Amino acid sequence: MEYRVATTVEEALEALGGRDGSRPVAGGTDLAVVLADGLGAVPPLLVDVAGIPALQGVRRTADGIAIGPATTIAEIATRSDLPACLCQGARAIGSPQIRNLATIGGNVCNASPCGDTLSPLVALEAAFVLASRSGTRTVPAELFFVGPKKTVLGPGELLVEIRIASARLAGRSAFRMIGKRNGQAISQVNAAVWLALEGGVIREARVAVGSVAPVPLRLKGAEALLVGKTVRGLDVEPVLARAAAEIAPISDVRASLEYRRLVTGSLLRDALLEAAGI
Amino acid sequence: MKDETMRIEFTCNGKLTSVEARLDMRALDLLRDLLGLTGTKEGCGRGECGACTILLDDEPVNACLLYAAKLQGRRVQTIEGVAGADGSLDAVQEAFLEEGAVQCGYCTPGMVLSARALLRKNPKPDVPAIEEALSGNFCRCTGYGKIVRAVQSAAGAAQRAEGAVQRAEGAVQRAEGAVQRAAGKASS
Amino acid sequence: MSGETLRVVGQRVRKVDGIELVTGRAKFAGDLVFPGMVYGYAARASVPAARIKGIDVSAAEMSDGVLLALRGGDIPGPNIIGILPPFDQPILATEVIRYVGESIALVVAESREAARRAARLVKADLEPLAPILTIDEALAEGARAIHPKGNVTCANRLVKGDVEQGFAGADVVVEGTYETSHQEHGYLEPEAVCAVPSADGRMTVYASCQSPFHLRGHIAANLGVPASSVRVVQAYTGGSFGGKDDVATEIGSLAAVAARRLDRPVRIAHEREESIIGSNLRHASRIHVATAAKKDGTILARRIRVLLDGGAYASESPFVTVKALVHVAGPYRVPNLLVESTSVYTNKTYSGACRGFGVPQSTFASESNIDELARKLGIDPLALRRKNALKAGDANATGQTYPASVGIVQTIDAIEARRGALPPLPGNDGRWRYGRGVACLLQGISNGAEGVDVVGASVQVSQDGSALVGVGLTDIGQGARTVSAQIVSEILGIPLPRVTVRSVDTDSVHDSGPTVASRNTTVGGQAVKMAAMEVRKSLVGMAARMFKVEGPLVDLRDGFAVLTVDAAARIPLSDVATAAYWTGYPLMNLAFSKAPDASFDHETHQGSVYIAYNYGTHLLDVRVDTRTGAVEVLRHLACHDVGKAINPLGLEGQIEGGSLFGFGLAHLEEVLFRDGRIVNANFADYALPSIKDRLPTEAMTVEDPNPTGPYGAKGVGEPPVAGAAAAFANAVADATGIRFHRLPISRQEILLALKANEGKG
Repeated sequence: MEYRVATTVEEALEALGGRDGSRPVAGGTDLAVVLADGLGAVPPLLVDVAGIPALQGVRRTADGIAIGPATTIAEIATRSDLPACLCQGARAIGSPQIRNLATIGGNVCNASPCGDTLSPLVALEAAFVLASRSGTRTVPAELFFVGPKKTVLGPGELLVEIRIASARLAGRSAFRMIGKRNGQAISQVNAAVWLALEGGVIREARVAVGSVAPVPLRLKGAEALLVGKTVRGLDVEPVLARAAAEIAPISDVRASLEYRRLVTGSLLRDALLEAAGI
Repeated sequence: MKDETMRIEFTCNGKLTSVEARLDMRALDLLRDLLGLTGTKEGCGRGECGACTILLDDEPVNACLLYAAKLQGRRVQTIEGVAGADGSLDAVQEAFLEEGAVQCGYCTPGMVLSARALLRKNPKPDVPAIEEALSGNFCRCTGYGKIVRAVQSAAGAAQRAEGAVQRAEGAVQRAEGAVQRAAGKASS
Repeated sequence: MSGETLRVVGQRVRKVDGIELVTGRAKFAGDLVFPGMVYGYAARASVPAARIKGIDVSAAEMSDGVLLALRGGDIPGPNIIGILPPFDQPILATEVIRYVGESIALVVAESREAARRAARLVKADLEPLAPILTIDEALAEGARAIHPKGNVTCANRLVKGDVEQGFAGADVVVEGTYETSHQEHGYLEPEAVCAVPSADGRMTVYASCQSPFHLRGHIAANLGVPASSVRVVQAYTGGSFGGKDDVATEIGSLAAVAARRLDRPVRIAHEREESIIGSNLRHASRIHVATAAKKDGTILARRIRVLLDGGAYASESPFVTVKALVHVAGPYRVPNLLVESTSVYTNKTYSGACRGFGVPQSTFASESNIDELARKLGIDPLALRRKNALKAGDANATGQTYPASVGIVQTIDAIEARRGALPPLPGNDGRWRYGRGVACLLQGISNGAEGVDVVGASVQVSQDGSALVGVGLTDIGQGARTVSAQIVSEILGIPLPRVTVRSVDTDSVHDSGPTVASRNTTVGGQAVKMAAMEVRKSLVGMAARMFKVEGPLVDLRDGFAVLTVDAAARIPLSDVATAAYWTGYPLMNLAFSKAPDASFDHETHQGSVYIAYNYGTHLLDVRVDTRTGAVEVLRHLACHDVGKAINPLGLEGQIEGGSLFGFGLAHLEEVLFRDGRIVNANFADYALPSIKDRLPTEAMTVEDPNPTGPYGAKGVGEPPVAGAAAAFANAVADATGIRFHRLPISRQEILLALKANEGKG
């Protein structure tokens, strides 16, 4: 396997576009596991994008912010200028060692249904900017994930920006997850809730749940039940019941579908109450 | 080109180190096999156990997940770099021994480094902070209780040492002041 | 020396091998490097059951960097390993595949990467067979035989009194079936060996292992050479818990064969997945318990059926089956007892020794059942146990009595005293359910009926007054070296830093059997004590001459020979030792401690089986979150009857670590099989407890000295596993009102059961 360290986006795209099967790598935390499990063919070329300055950090844009995909999960977890659900999701990932290497772009492109930044990004209606030698395109988060570990990224394409609109930076959000144990736990289910509140009333709601479907799922029925409701005395039960009907969990080595169905409600309740400020 | 190697230069335990390695080699293998630093252990190869924890620019990472290329120009500390050059143990190492936080010792290098990284940033960690910092280091022998106590003890020891240093510095300042006053009197 | 204050034994001391561990200098087997060393990697079966038509290694042999590809037929000796004859486990399968992960070839190459790549190129021509994957399938009428002898590995019976009569006279009978799943040892260091041939024709194998002599025997046999030409050195071992010895004989033999063929050192170091799939697990169990009792709680009889799933090969099944047989009735007076204990073969990774060795499974079943009895009778769970608890002089399940050191009642009383002082648990408030569980257990110390119980130890004092100790039993992290050092330091008065305990090397100690069954402190410590006492005679004798007094007036302490009547009169031990050497006193002794023979009737298992038992009582409080099934352990008291705590610091570590091991079995861990394949062979999906999952264990001890252990000590490595597991199960039952019949009682199981219960209204 060949390994190239890219210092600019152009250099990375050149390398990625030039060889079939070549892959970008940032922190490498997921790749090592994929290769160890024998689940992916060993790529002929790895292009290390972790050090590309243009892919780092968070900058303001005309209509919101752009997060560099090579920003580490550790940094995302501790930033105060990002929505709470995203920071909480980042904090739930792995361990300190993993968070110091892993990147938000890596978490997104690995597209595991239980990725803890995924449901927050879907709830925040993030947009992913993909670049290749032939140009760039922007894909909404909800359309980016097409199956477990499958995205719309084409050959030679690189995620170069994660955009969140100003509208979603305002408001309140929260994230919850549960795993088999307390430390370094993979999510059996995770949930992200974002609310726009005005005068104690929910004006807009976004609810996304991970690991209950092949991709992180927006629960639009649950969202609809929240809009227009007053926060004070909010009855969450109908919302949770609607949510339970919208998800399609499966049983796997981590959890049974029954457990996922039951626990999704608990996670949503907690996330909802926190986002609503109750 | 296949099996192409590159010169990777980085600071390892305070020493500028230069080694020829394939860029896709794991840092774990570079340290253990090329540099003979076998204190960093392989427990799972997937970043799930923490036995391979090293400090990269003072931050703990899993060496089994780290590609050698990423060491270029960075500062690495392994367990071999923790004790003093004269063999004196650091506060965390002493505390681990004193509190019985070492049994088979395989997780110990990783634990010690994660603890040191914590205490550098947070000299007075509470129990949740200790747990969070060590949440990526697994131990099958001790049940973790004595490990938590060892980190608390090391934090206390560091503070006591710092207090002693401050008191000593204060004493030196007072002595210097006395000397100056004496000199002043002598010259006036 | 009796009646004197102990100065070193009983003190909290640092591990004598701690500094090399905390600095990373200690070399584990996978750290050792030898000139010309090459690497072995196994090709493994990917189906659970098949007839082998052929194994083709030609592609592997031609792969880059490959030096050798071995198949079963390339092994000079019988290509077989096992614990108890007749051995039934091939090192490299040649005719039949019996589990997914079974080794079929070993590829040796210049790098582990090259060997690993080439191993994937080994092709097996197989005729798959329908796999047998459960106890019921194994025992079904007409089931395919996994081994020529059939699917029953072993079966044992224990008969005491008359159970029919016992049940006939009962006021109440409580029955239940309880199951546990396979547990993985999860030691942080995967198995590793390094075989180094020497010019004199000998083969040295450095191994991560518990039982170097067991390894030596198998390696020599498979290499086709005398045992005396093989030397096994135990490297620093990163945990074992019973899980390394089978595999170490397998990879030790393979590495030795390859090293002999290539005349180069060969290292085999397992990856984590190989370790989980290719090394022994804990037996899964299904145990049916029926207990007959009087209204006042007196147990009249128990009828128990133990079924163990032992996987593809026998390994330690014969011993685990007997241990379960003898322990499942618990630390109680049970006048009428019938136990049947059977282990079966299945086409899964084989099960064998695992910390507790059948006792954790048995204790969970028995203590769940006792708890149900207490509830049915409306008697306090601790009081019921106390009423039936064994005392000195009582006949236990095998009819054996002990004059002393039957500390179960003391542990119950100690727990009761603490319980009485605790504030009441909060009431259930809708979301949270609180519960308390107790459990009592016993664990036989040392090999008992399982084999010869002999340990050799040597103590050698140099002219400078320092001591070198060798013991045939290994330190696998549990602090055995430190205990040995403390005993020698106590008896010879040599300060701990001047006592060196060497690593176990089959060349220089007596074959002492396996380091198992918590026998290190008891039998091993006794041997060390005996050797030290002999050397003491020389030092005291010489010092007495130098003082010109009689021997009894001389004591050895703090590096000096001292007059008991005048502590100021003292001679440095180095002077005494030098004088003793030049005078001709022996300064080295090799001692042999043999535990009293077990002798019992093999039909009824009545007789003397274990030299001693360690007893314990655990109390565990939980808070269950009814919304997620998550359990928080609020309190955990673990009280063990240890006879004498030689190193309280090490002992606490064993109780804390053993308890978490048991908690994992009870709550978090399960090896998951799908169609015979382990699907969670990693530490993420197999939920090894993290620091955030730890227990708030408070280790408590009672000391009722054990006449057969040094200073009255009994080992405590295993007992906490059973106590924590059973107490957890009882706590969850108390909190939720639901009795769980299967371990692990995971968050998932709890939430699903709570919801199902809700539905019942």
